[in-house]
Amino acid sequence: MSDEEHHFESKADAGASKTFPQQAGTIRKNGYIVIKGRPCKVVEVSTSKTGKHGHAKCHFVAIDIFNGKKLEDIVPSSHNCDVPHVNRTDYQLIDISEDGFVSLLTENGNTKDDLRLPTDDSLLTQIKDGFGEGKDLVVSVMSAMGEEQICALKDIGPK
Amino acid sequence: MHQGYPPDLSQLQAVMNAIEIACSSIQIHVNPAAAEATILSLCQSPRPYQACQFILENSLVANARFQAAAAIRDAAIREWVFLTDDEKKSLISFCLCFVMQHANSPEGYVQVKVSSVAAQLIKRGWLDFSAVEKEGFLSQVKQAVIGSHGLDVQFRGINVLESLVSEFSPSTSSAMGLPREFHEQCRASLEKDYLKTFYCWAQDAALSVTNKIMESNSAVPEVNVCSAAMRLMLQILNWDFQHNKNAKGGKNGIDVYSAEVRYEGARRSDCVLVQPGPSWRDVLIISGHIGWLLSLYGALRKKFSCEGYWLDCPIAVSAQKLIVQFCSLTGTIFPSDNGQMQDQHLLQLLSGIIQWVSPPDAIAKAIECGKSESEMLDGCRALLAIATITTPLVFDRLLKSISPFGTLSLLSALTCEVVKVYMANFTEEETWSWVARDILLDTWTALLMQADNTGQNSHLPPEGVNAAANLFALIVESELKVASASAFTDESESEFLQASITGMDERLSSYGLIARAAIDVTIPLLTRLFSERFARLHEGRGTKDPTETLEELYSLLLLTGHILADEGEGEMPLVPNAIQTHFVDSMEIDKHPIIVLSSSIIRFAEQSLDPEMRASVFSPRLMEAVIWFIARWSCTYLMPPEETTSSSDHRPHLQPQYSRKAWLTFFGEDNQGKLVLDIIVRISKATLVSYPGEKDLQALTCYQLLHGLVRRKSICVHLVSLGSWHDLANAFANERTLFSLNAAHQRSVAQTLTLSASGMRNSEASNQYVRDLMGYMTAYLLEMSGKSDIKNVAQQPDVILSVSCLLERLRGAASASEPRTQKAIYEMGSSVMNPILILLEVYKHESAVVYLLLKFVVDWVDGQIIYLEAQETAVVVNFCMRLLQLYSSQNIGKISLSLSSSLLSEAETEKYKDLRALLQLLSNLCSKDLVDFSSDSSEAQGTNISQVVFLGLHIVTPLISLDLLKYPKLCHDYFSLLSHMLEVYPEMVAQLNAEAFGHVLGTLDFGLHNQDTEVVDMCLRALKALASYHYKETGAGKVGLGSQATIYTEPDGKLQDGILSRFLRLLLQLLLFEDVSTDLISASADALLPLILCEQGLYQSLGKELIERQANPTFRSSWCEFQGSKTHGKSENKVSNSTSGRHMKCNDGGGDV
Repeated sequence: MSDEEHHFESKADAGASKTFPQQAGTIRKNGYIVIKGRPCKVVEVSTSKTGKHGHAKCHFVAIDIFNGKKLEDIVPSSHNCDVPHVNRTDYQLIDISEDGFVSLLTENGNTKDDLRLPTDDSLLTQIKDGFGEGKDLVVSVMSAMGEEQICALKDIGPK
Repeated sequence: MHQGYPPDLSQLQAVMNAIEIACSSIQIHVNPAAAEATILSLCQSPRPYQACQFILENSLVANARFQAAAAIRDAAIREWVFLTDDEKKSLISFCLCFVMQHANSPEGYVQVKVSSVAAQLIKRGWLDFSAVEKEGFLSQVKQAVIGSHGLDVQFRGINVLESLVSEFSPSTSSAMGLPREFHEQCRASLEKDYLKTFYCWAQDAALSVTNKIMESNSAVPEVNVCSAAMRLMLQILNWDFQHNKNAKGGKNGIDVYSAEVRYEGARRSDCVLVQPGPSWRDVLIISGHIGWLLSLYGALRKKFSCEGYWLDCPIAVSAQKLIVQFCSLTGTIFPSDNGQMQDQHLLQLLSGIIQWVSPPDAIAKAIECGKSESEMLDGCRALLAIATITTPLVFDRLLKSISPFGTLSLLSALTCEVVKVYMANFTEEETWSWVARDILLDTWTALLMQADNTGQNSHLPPEGVNAAANLFALIVESELKVASASAFTDESESEFLQASITGMDERLSSYGLIARAAIDVTIPLLTRLFSERFARLHEGRGTKDPTETLEELYSLLLLTGHILADEGEGEMPLVPNAIQTHFVDSMEIDKHPIIVLSSSIIRFAEQSLDPEMRASVFSPRLMEAVIWFIARWSCTYLMPPEETTSSSDHRPHLQPQYSRKAWLTFFGEDNQGKLVLDIIVRISKATLVSYPGEKDLQALTCYQLLHGLVRRKSICVHLVSLGSWHDLANAFANERTLFSLNAAHQRSVAQTLTLSASGMRNSEASNQYVRDLMGYMTAYLLEMSGKSDIKNVAQQPDVILSVSCLLERLRGAASASEPRTQKAIYEMGSSVMNPILILLEVYKHESAVVYLLLKFVVDWVDGQIIYLEAQETAVVVNFCMRLLQLYSSQNIGKISLSLSSSLLSEAETEKYKDLRALLQLLSNLCSKDLVDFSSDSSEAQGTNISQVVFLGLHIVTPLISLDLLKYPKLCHDYFSLLSHMLEVYPEMVAQLNAEAFGHVLGTLDFGLHNQDTEVVDMCLRALKALASYHYKETGAGKVGLGSQATIYTEPDGKLQDGILSRFLRLLLQLLLFEDVSTDLISASADALLPLILCEQGLYQSLGKELIERQANPTFRSSWCEFQGSKTHGKSENKVSNSTSGRHMKCNDGGGDV
């Protein structure tokens, strides 16, 4: 496992590599996978064989973590698949601007202002309503393969 | 019919018109909802009898008559207790007369319906009617059945009897809203007093028309009567006779719990024994009944060419079925004369049946040319029935007295023929040969199972052995042919595959039994077939496609596995009797046929270690069969326990037998055992490492083979000393190669390796073994969690993969906790407690990892808690509480946002699984109070577990939303924990703060309304515990549940009823007005009594309130009386006797508090 160590050091700079290869047979339901260039979450894995005495193949059904679209792929189970590096960071929500951007407080005290609000109405209302009620909200921002999106809200209001 | 006012013809006419219109509009689909409502209103109206009778007699619309009959049934069953005796009797007579008078009506289904209504009403009143009254109804039926009023009436009369028998048989009776005792009493009464009489009537009816049928050359109306009579006889023979069962046990009363309900078609070729008892001997056996039946069918067979008769015509089918049913006749109906009368009976049947199946080749050919197969299949079923009730010897002898060959030879010839046909047109579809094969294999199983269990194979006659040998050769040929033919077909749907594997398993067991019956011949045959195929593979390597041969080997391996060894199902299966007792005069040990066969297969499997061979020959599928075979074989033959092989001093007379078994030690510890074990371990490692992504194969290796090996201590002792096992352990502990295994398999390998530590010399060595095994992994997690940049690094996919793998392995090791290795596993867990909390923080968004972390802790605590000393317990409990708090702080108030509804529901599911794990953790902690193996169990310094668990519940409960409780498993876990806590520590509830208290009770309320009776039951138990606790405490002058019991404040400041009164109200509401399952009555009673005792005033006032609200004065006064007689009545008119019975029961119930 010594080369493992090596991995840590070289990849310490997060985001340097967007994806990692991983054997298809080890990818589980609820894991991540890249299908057709999109980062996805696996919702179903089944295996089949190529002919009776052939080798196993994995059949993945996965959902794009950003746009929610369903994608499928079939890969021989001994081959490698790309697994996206999905990062999630928590920020405190400071403000929601008129033009559809949010203002977030980072851990080191700076602000992050380049994240757009989701366009989907129901998601938007969930964020806006919480903020409107004056709750202290922490948002989790998910990023993968160069895209980011708010994926969860948490009320840390005084209790 | 008395209805209080004179019948108004125009009114009746109007009702009839309305029903007629409704019936016809349903048929043409015009406004069906309104039409149904009209019909329903007739059923539900009070006393609709006159209208219904009017419709039955006058309507020209058959459907309207049908609905009227249904309405009579519904209304009469509902209003039965309010009808006078005369009304009841006149309703029944009306139905019976109606059926007879309109016997020739073309709409038969109306008559059938009316017969069934009559039968149900007779049954409803059965226990109240006097014998004379019953005779009255039945004499009317009897006159009809014996033919006094012509053929049509005779037919209808038999119909009525059919309805009666089916209503009185518990498995086919209609629901009447009465307790099961009622149905049982009716059943017993009919069986005792009438069943045989009915049978005789049916016999008489059939006899009265037999001559007409035999003489005629074309269909005559008598045929209907005869086939109905035979149907009735069959139905009666299908009756589940209790007579014997009760007599045997010496019981007089009816045990409603042991009387089983019989389900039809449980197995494809189900064979139910018919045991009516000695009183039936005269009717069924001595009277020449069978002779009549056989000659009738014989006459029918000759008529199949005539007009109106054919092989599958109803009367022929009825006769066939009845004949087959007679083959199952057994028990005390035959005198104890060494089975002579039974043999005679079977011989008589068989001499009739033999024409259906013999000669097999001609019959098979005829069916292939288009003849119906039903007679042949029934012949097979008859053989199965006979095989079930006789021994192989008797079975074989039967036919010998009338033919040159025995029944076994016939069975063998028949099976061979069927297998040949099956082979000739092998398809995926179910054909007659498929069905026949299954029945015949069941017949073999029925015969050979007895021999196999008792080990008395010598009881099979020599011709029988030959027949089995021939049949097996043909079976193997056919299986091989099927295998090579299907080698290239793609396996279609996995579900279908699963079903066919289960089906195949049953078939293979039958094949195994057949092979064992002729073991001297079959084992050498298999050895030869294997070596031919091994040679073929070697010759053709690289030049020929081996797929067909691979598939043949696949099925040979499965077949051989079933012959050589039995399924252990967790136990050590012994060497099958047939194999133990044969090969008496066997030569040198290494020429023993079983050894030769086993060795050749193992040598072949060993070749899979060569990478080149592996690539060209050992496909994943073939390897699956190899691993499956080795797993099954090694359980029985590899290093068998001493006592079955070596001779023991205290049983000297068995000496000669034991020397025969010397060959069994061939694979023992002192002989080839170690060598073979080494080969097996190396093969296992190869399947784990060299077949990447082959989950099925690896699952077989992990769960079947390796688990089977480490389960036996004698094998573990050798495993830990093997270099190959050490290699496997090393690869697991220090290399990345096994990271490619699927998560569950990682866990399994960890468990296996940890379990093998029991093979070490002593406890220290075992603990050291586990430390060496897991040391690297705990060190890695420690180091990893100490990194400063862990937050960034942790989310990289390869790191997530490593962490998940390691956690799975820790979990596997934790679940292998045994007293011997407990210490090392405790250290393993306690050393990663901190890393786990850190990882839980880092991976809080990575639900898959969170779940693994929780599950590891759950399994670890589960394995450890009972052994822990006070000090360690405190550490573990403290850790668990920190874990709970951390999890709670991360998840409370969290909302997932996603565009995808399926991702959102996944997130919900993940949350549910996490919470379930947390509840399991709390339950595991609870068990410390029940079982404790620690040395210092003095409670003074120990942790108060109940306090801890309540604290834990307090942390977890807010996370469990009512939505999440819709997951049945979570709901179940939650309420079982809650009710356990409330039952065992009710005093802790009193100490809860108002918010926690409110929450606990809120969920109890929710639980009481749950669909799942088990959940309701648990809530009731909790309630009982709370109320009893309060009652006892206040009785002793203490506070009990304190202020919360009497009054408590809701979060919004409103004052609420005391919780006990609230639950009393709720429980009464549930019991009286809602549909409560009868399973819950006793639990409700247990809870109700202490509640009533606590809140007597409220109970009284509730009772009064109910009576006042009762609109119907009759009921009101009767309820008042009821209350006067000290059982507080409360009911509305829809609540009938059963509820008040229920109520009484409630009061009788928990008298123990």
